[in-house]
Amino acid sequence: MHASVCDLITDLVQNAIEAHAEEIMLNVEETEKNIKVVIQDNGKGMSAETLEKAKNPFWSDGKHRHRKVGLGLPFLFQTVDMTDGSAEIQSEEGVGTTVTFNLDPQHVDLPMFGNFVSTAVSLMTYEFDGNLTVQHSRNSRSYSVSKNDLTDALGNLNNLENMVLLKQFIQSNEEELR
Amino acid sequence: MAKMTLDELRSLRDSKKKEMTQRDGDKTAQIVVGMGTCGIAAGAKEAFDAFLDELDNHDVKNTRITQTGCMGLCFSEPTVEVAVPDMPRVIYGNVDADVARRIVKEHIIGKALVSDHIFDKPAKDIIDGETK
Ligand code: FES
Repeated sequence: MHASVCDLITDLVQNAIEAHAEEIMLNVEETEKNIKVVIQDNGKGMSAETLEKAKNPFWSDGKHRHRKVGLGLPFLFQTVDMTDGSAEIQSEEGVGTTVTFNLDPQHVDLPMFGNFVSTAVSLMTYEFDGNLTVQHSRNSRSYSVSKNDLTDALGNLNNLENMVLLKQFIQSNEEELR
Repeated sequence: MAKMTLDELRSLRDSKKKEMTQRDGDKTAQIVVGMGTCGIAAGAKEAFDAFLDELDNHDVKNTRITQTGCMGLCFSEPTVEVAVPDMPRVIYGNVDADVARRIVKEHIIGKALVSDHIFDKPAKDIIDGETK
């Protein structure tokens, strides 16, 4: 079981990265009554059969190191089951995958939400060739930022000074959502 | 903090750049944080965050922080590889936020290994694929 909803999100975005997506969209919509998360990628996608297998925590496509599907999906289903949430995965080979889930923020069994600032910083600075757009909204406020925009503004995102600036940037945008 | 725009971010970056003195590219410390599934579950993001803060607080600049997926060392997560110029490359295990701060102070700034968190032999066997 993951410690937080943010950990779950990190894992699912990493799946998209590992599917060699060029464009990944992470959308988190929070209200008092619902947390909706959509992770959409244009990576290699999965066949219906692979998707079925990917839901099984004891399945892997061979070597762990080269896994295409992590434990993200089984964790997702476990969380959703325990908290009366819902989850849906659409995937098509060669087209991409979209994972959508809804969670009840008031459910007693829901893991804590976690730190979205460090999650976004970590995902934005994870080295991969594609672009990642993060959109976060709470009630009527929202912001959106993409990795391409950040690279354009900062240059190399793995250099410490740039990471610190990036963190300040995300933090200032997150504070606006409160 | 007021909401920062991308343009503000860009100009902050430019003003920082002017402050920067000429730095030797080879003298950059490297930190690689394992962000595999179990690394994340074990608190790799907290360690990652602590590295950023501590390096910034001590005004250590020449450092590259990258992340990698599974390092195959589940039992000692979070796992972090640290390479400081002129020092041996080390893999640390069980790196929580406190250990991350110690690595910054003792290893990156103080140039001394944090011996009690150095990952020991079995992992190397696994990494190299040796049988014995
Ligand atoms: S995810 Fe940690 S060893 Fe594989």
